[in-house]
Amino acid sequence: MSASDFKDGLIKEIPNLRAFAASLSGSMQLADDLVQDTLLKAWGNSEKFEPGTSLRAWLFTILRNTYYSLYRKRGREVQDSEGTYAERLATHGNQESHLDLADFRKALAKLPEEQREVLIMVGATGLSYEETAEICGVAIGTIKSRVNRARTKLAELLSIGGVDDLGPDRKSTAAIQRGGSEIVGL
Amino acid sequence: MSKSNVPMARSGGEGGDEAELVLDPRIQESIGRSLKAHYDDIVNTPVPDKFLVLLAQLEAQEMRAKNGNLS
Repeated sequence: MSASDFKDGLIKEIPNLRAFAASLSGSMQLADDLVQDTLLKAWGNSEKFEPGTSLRAWLFTILRNTYYSLYRKRGREVQDSEGTYAERLATHGNQESHLDLADFRKALAKLPEEQREVLIMVGATGLSYEETAEICGVAIGTIKSRVNRARTKLAELLSIGGVDDLGPDRKSTAAIQRGGSEIVGL
Repeated sequence: MSKSNVPMARSGGEGGDEAELVLDPRIQESIGRSLKAHYDDIVNTPVPDKFLVLLAQLEAQEMRAKNGNLS
């Protein structure tokens, strides 16, 4: 793989790296520092990437290791002093969808790290259970049980007590997604 | 699984030590949509220029190193 192909591959993964880093650290500012470190490490170790395997999974492994070795403590400090990104990130879309997304992010931030990271990987990034298990260095069964516990805990935090609660959420999620695509157009 | 009033169902198969409870599929689906909304919201945010600048610098550095070796 040429340096230029590798660079293009990295560029394509930046949005996903930012979203995963923000989910882990709870701060957009820390997320961007984390992404920068990840890109530097990836570039310096490009010969260790096996072409044909998932670049996303490889980069997520680097990002996750970097987070746990260097950023975890800083993340807590930033959250303590500035509040989580949940309160600051949502700046577009309509009023109703803001609140729902902000509430969801607050709940997500309350999950134990080991549950939050697998829920994001399996539920949002397009990584498989197998890839997630490899990235975290645990068995697939462990990933499945963490995902189940994470979902149950989230449902409790969000007080989704019954099917009646699902109607408005369905509507506002669509609104959030529309908000997101408007941003791309800017 | 104590005080929760979240609707649960027994998960099938897998048997053995940890007979886990799973959430109502409709709730799982709702959480899944919110997860995607949270994640995609950040994915769809424009990438700061500094990352592209950084990668361009790294590539230029490597080019210079290569050319240096050739001459």
